[in-house]
Amino acid sequence: MADSYGQNCNKCGFCLSVCPTYQAQGTEDASPRARIQLIDFFSDHKLGSSEKLKDIISKCLMCGSCANICPAGINHPERYVRMREKMIRDHGDRPEIKSLVSLLAKESRIRMAAGAAGMAQKIVPRVFAEKYRLGNIALKQFPVLNNVPFRTATRRAMERMPGQKSKGVPALKYGRVVYFTGCATNYLFDDTGFAVLDILRHMGVEVIIPDTQTCCGIPMLFHGGREKVKNNLNTNLACLDAQGIDAVIVDCPTCGAALKNDYPGLAKEFGLDQEAANRVAEKVVDISTFIMAHARPEGFPQNHEAIHVTYHQPCHLRNHMPAPGSAQALLNALQGVEYIPALDMDSCCGGGGTFFYEYPEVSRGIAKKKVTNAKATGAELWVTDCPVCRINLGGYLDDAAGLTVVHPARLAAQFLPDLKGRKG
Amino acid sequence: MINPDAINSLKAIVGKDRCFDSPEQLACYCYDAYFEEAMPDLVLFPCTRDEVSGILKICSVHKIPVTARGAGTSVCGASIPARGGVVLCFSKMNRILEINTKDRYVIVEPGVVNADLQKALAPFGFFYPPDPGSMAVSTIGGNVAQNAGGPRCLKYGVTVDYILGMEVVLASGKVVRFGSRNVKDVTGYRLSSLFCGSEGTLGMVTSVILKVLPLPESVSTLLVTFDDLDNTAKAVADIIGAGILPAALELMDKTTIRTIEEKAHIGLPVDAEGTLLIEVDGVKEACEKEIKKITEKLEANGAVNIEVAKTEDEREKLWQARRSAYGVFAKLSPSLYTEDIVVPAGKIPEMTRMIVDIANKYKLIVGVMAHAGDGNMHPMIPADKSNKEEWGRVEKAFDEIMAAAASLNGTLSGEHGIGLAKTEYLPLVMDEDAIEFMGVIKKAVDPDGILNPGKFV
Repeated sequence: MADSYGQNCNKCGFCLSVCPTYQAQGTEDASPRARIQLIDFFSDHKLGSSEKLKDIISKCLMCGSCANICPAGINHPERYVRMREKMIRDHGDRPEIKSLVSLLAKESRIRMAAGAAGMAQKIVPRVFAEKYRLGNIALKQFPVLNNVPFRTATRRAMERMPGQKSKGVPALKYGRVVYFTGCATNYLFDDTGFAVLDILRHMGVEVIIPDTQTCCGIPMLFHGGREKVKNNLNTNLACLDAQGIDAVIVDCPTCGAALKNDYPGLAKEFGLDQEAANRVAEKVVDISTFIMAHARPEGFPQNHEAIHVTYHQPCHLRNHMPAPGSAQALLNALQGVEYIPALDMDSCCGGGGTFFYEYPEVSRGIAKKKVTNAKATGAELWVTDCPVCRINLGGYLDDAAGLTVVHPARLAAQFLPDLKGRKG
Repeated sequence: MINPDAINSLKAIVGKDRCFDSPEQLACYCYDAYFEEAMPDLVLFPCTRDEVSGILKICSVHKIPVTARGAGTSVCGASIPARGGVVLCFSKMNRILEINTKDRYVIVEPGVVNADLQKALAPFGFFYPPDPGSMAVSTIGGNVAQNAGGPRCLKYGVTVDYILGMEVVLASGKVVRFGSRNVKDVTGYRLSSLFCGSEGTLGMVTSVILKVLPLPESVSTLLVTFDDLDNTAKAVADIIGAGILPAALELMDKTTIRTIEEKAHIGLPVDAEGTLLIEVDGVKEACEKEIKKITEKLEANGAVNIEVAKTEDEREKLWQARRSAYGVFAKLSPSLYTEDIVVPAGKIPEMTRMIVDIANKYKLIVGVMAHAGDGNMHPMIPADKSNKEEWGRVEKAFDEIMAAAASLNGTLSGEHGIGLAKTEYLPLVMDEDAIEFMGVIKKAVDPDGILNPGKFV
């Protein structure tokens, strides 16, 4: 039957071949085809709202691979999001997920929480940390919060050097960009942020990091907080749609996909400035693509010893961004990097936003395969663009693993002339 | 309704984690890739032969219908539980038990996905030839039940040609084994051929011994265009008639090519009236010679353009385009009916004309697509099943297409099966005695008719 979006699932089953939850569980209810069937049953009143229904719909990594392969052109993620809203409205969400959604809706709350959590991390005794796990990740392997949020750190740096935008900038070569840092770089992985800045400076690009930017809104959208996204959208559009900007740089594929694909439609839905959303969407580009387009990473100085690197392709880069191969192109271009592709380079890691926390058993099964295959490459660095993939995969790698997860920008920045060996 | 005692003992066999009985979960097992639905009462996921046997013992005592399922990609409704009861889903019984390329066989459980078997064989330089369009997700058990085919079956033969032996649980729960690890085996009836294609109406296959082949050293793929559909079909008949046997010989008409190109954007020839996708494989020199002979036949039939895929990437793109045909047609309308008739290769031009005429007569869109080399045709008619008037025309068109195929010494299904879709057409190609004989076998093996009831036998 044709759905309310004018698209129709013919149950061909192609989606089963790319769905990480179906692959992991081997039961139809874990498949995209079944979720669409259940959503149709629900809207046709053949099935009532229930906790069970909510659970089946939520047990999805929102990777988007189903929509990508669907020959009938069904927009699965959009339909899942709408259904999740209804299910959360009827049955609520886990308290901790609810507070996460509320947290990300307001930057001041994120800052406060990050501060408190940072304090907690410092005082939590080791024994305690090893005993407790976040999702499937031992607290010990959970990334340490940035001492100071990345954006605050860069602002302070600039304040100390009034009139100087960034140190060591040669004459302006390329232009001016806005850097949308995302929450992860700001609060968790400032090594990515500093690497992006270093590269952009090396390229001679003027970088603006708007102070007011906030969470892209995807976590709220995925967890029934649609109306909460409006504020974030408004705030972000106001600071990203600046004049004379050549590009909006993102380091996280999920943020990138939100700005690029979801903002125009959401702006329309919320009655916000659609033109602004379109302008921003058009300029969004991931850092690897930007480097490949405007710099010559082949010319970055070569290290003496080759670094062995493997890569995990985030689902949102593969399914929602225009250049899914951008990071790999960068790896191949860097002299001194030996890129060894893992067997399942392009399969989901099982992270999926909060999925690894909500469904640790399923997530673990998916991630362990990835880890085994990555280790088999013999690489020292496991490059991936997405911070959630990094948290999730990093969670399985203790010190003995000899494998560290980093952002492609972090790797590329290591090759820059004046910054080699910089501590991230 | 199933007797509650029976339900409890069935649950006890697999445990609660491998038993689905909530309405939400059951709703996920009421369909396959055919467009009818029927709700099961229980879905069970056995992991061993003994579990399957235990389940069938209980079901036969209580006369509970049992429908086997792999990945649920049947396009004839073979895995739809038409009479409710138990769906026996083999997706968790998916171990490859043995790979023995020295003796050229593998032993697998029914839930192994076809593509996973190919992946496991590739490092040995071997492959398993049957390549149904659903191979990325469909299971060997399902492939065996439906005697699945695929494009390269033109040269290599279909599923039944690769079964050396199997282990089957009968309706009573009794376990029987037949065949062996040997390619030559005339020890008794070749019962694997009876169970292969029986669509789960005779027994549950719990492991199967399959013949495998070394990968060909060289593969070449040609994309050929014509400005006339009739000439396209004649070229097919000519190539096959001249004793040439490519690995695959696929025909697509203008409607099919255009619909695919709209989605795929890979530069398919949208103005061509007919397109052939031809693949040859084998020893490099033999391939070259074969391509030369094929080219002669194509030119003699007025081919406008012949292009050889230059890279593996180009080749993969062409096949991806071909494989996406079913899906992209699905986009055109709420319901898609794909036919699966077969005619002798020499009758391809005539059958193609008849299909187009019939569709025109009933004012329907038709995409003509065929594994033309072996005469297996998949005309696709997108329509809306909820539109009674339109669907009436679709049904009439298919009645006539079926009758036309029968009149050309063809048959009803090449690789999809009968299932729920084609039972009523059986008399077109089987006489009463033959149909009755199937009934006799069914009765002997499954006296209470608990295995996949409501289907063709």
